[in-house]
Amino acid sequence: MIASVVPALPKPRAVTRTDDDSGELFARWQEHGDRTAREALVQRYMPLARSLARRYDRSSEPYEDLTQVASLGLLKALDRFDPSRGPSFASFAIPTILGEMRRYFRDSGWSLHVPRGDKERALKVRDAQEAFANEHGHAPTVHQLAQYLEIATEAVIDGLLAIQAYESLSLDAPRPGGEDDSITYGDAVGQEDERFELIELDATVVAVLDRLSAREREILRMRFVEELTQTQIAARVGVSQMQVSRLLRRSLDQLRALTQDAGEAP
Amino acid sequence: MARLPNVRLDLSNRPENVLLVREALAGVAETVGLDGGDLSDIRTAATEACNNVVLHAYSGDPGALEIEIELAGASTSVTVRDHGVGISRDGVSPEEQSGEGGGIGLPVIEALTRSVEFAEPAGGGTEVRMVFATPGARELPAATAQVLELPVLAEVDGATAMTVSVAPTELAKAVIPRLLCVLAARANFSTDRISDSQLLADALVAHAAGSLSGTHLSMAVNVEPRDLELRVGPLIAGRAQGLLVDSDVQGLGRVLEKLADSHGVSSAGSHDTLTLQLLDRR
Repeated sequence: MIASVVPALPKPRAVTRTDDDSGELFARWQEHGDRTAREALVQRYMPLARSLARRYDRSSEPYEDLTQVASLGLLKALDRFDPSRGPSFASFAIPTILGEMRRYFRDSGWSLHVPRGDKERALKVRDAQEAFANEHGHAPTVHQLAQYLEIATEAVIDGLLAIQAYESLSLDAPRPGGEDDSITYGDAVGQEDERFELIELDATVVAVLDRLSAREREILRMRFVEELTQTQIAARVGVSQMQVSRLLRRSLDQLRALTQDAGEAP
Repeated sequence: MARLPNVRLDLSNRPENVLLVREALAGVAETVGLDGGDLSDIRTAATEACNNVVLHAYSGDPGALEIEIELAGASTSVTVRDHGVGISRDGVSPEEQSGEGGGIGLPVIEALTRSVEFAEPAGGGTEVRMVFATPGARELPAATAQVLELPVLAEVDGATAMTVSVAPTELAKAVIPRLLCVLAARANFSTDRISDSQLLADALVAHAAGSLSGTHLSMAVNVEPRDLELRVGPLIAGRAQGLLVDSDVQGLGRVLEKLADSHGVSSAGSHDTLTLQLLDRR
């Protein structure tokens, strides 16, 4: 129910601030190339650029980088602003600065890839989780991870969610901090395979479960039959809890898909 | 047939709830293939609109924050609604020109959206409807139904942190586990149980499709320290128990029951509600 539609933003009322001496500064810079006037304008509006850098949704990007891009947008806005037409510099500058940040990110191609900052942070969250679990014998909370890493709890949650997306954490990735870098997650779990005993299963199920790797079956069994926690499983098989989490999600997904296929078969 | 939002979130105006909106949008982006730039724009604008509600709509009192996300392929809309005093439309004040004040939210929204409309919803307050151009987005089956109302859960109470309705299933698959991750973290769960709550969400979404009494998968979630309670419904009569049974993986047991500490089925009229409680007993 749209009661009233406001097509454009209301006219900012803060023309006065721009009017006092900004108009003169703009004239000195734009008409006479007076760099001290530009410097004064940059000083005045830099907080606006910084505020926008802080707000734009690239929390994982270093804040300094964002601020640099925002400053570049501010300089462009200072060049292009026409004090005789616009209501206030801020309403002109905000879209210009945001436009500069968006263009920067699109040109640098981050939109196609997981941002580097996200990935590094996710790996830090994973490593902190392992370190905490080793020290305390149980998994940490998000709050504890946030304290340990000195980052916001929201950043930890982002890391937890992001870590599941990374192929580099596949079973074949080298184990970080392992004594021998040539040992992969796959090897470590594989060593457990000999201890793996199939529980009583009928033929159909064996067929479905057989489509999973031995290590996936073993991790599923530990979680749902032995009812170990993910951290206990992680310690047994020598992978991170996050890796256990990821494997459980993936193999349960696969099992559901396979069971569905089997159910739909004539 | 009315078009319904694909995602409807009912939250309170607590600051930490903005993260739920951001994560729901991340789930949307993953499902329809929004690129990171579009997602950033949408999240930034939605965050501004939500922060306005959190900071200004209720003058410090508790109040409702309602979010609706509609996906129509090349355009994506996010509506943020409150029933408070409304968003100040005074524009940019002098102290905010320098950027350190609060009120640059609306100019930011305007700069990032294709269009933005303000309205006064029934019952007062403010509704901000933001439409974004998302040319790369995949189209989902439209969420339409005879009734305009989304399923409403009967037992929502003061402890309810979130009520959510999502359609279609493939969107729920990306959105619900993210939301539960955020709420499990808020319940101070360990990372073990946070992951378990996501596994539980996966299983629910995977098996719920044939059990819904409408188009949307709906649930209310209560959050207490180390205690997360989900009430899933309305479900077709008899299907709450059916969902538990369907989650069985032979050799492993009923995944939903294994992950939850307790579960319950209640019937009201022609509808079932499935209750699942997760605790962290470490």
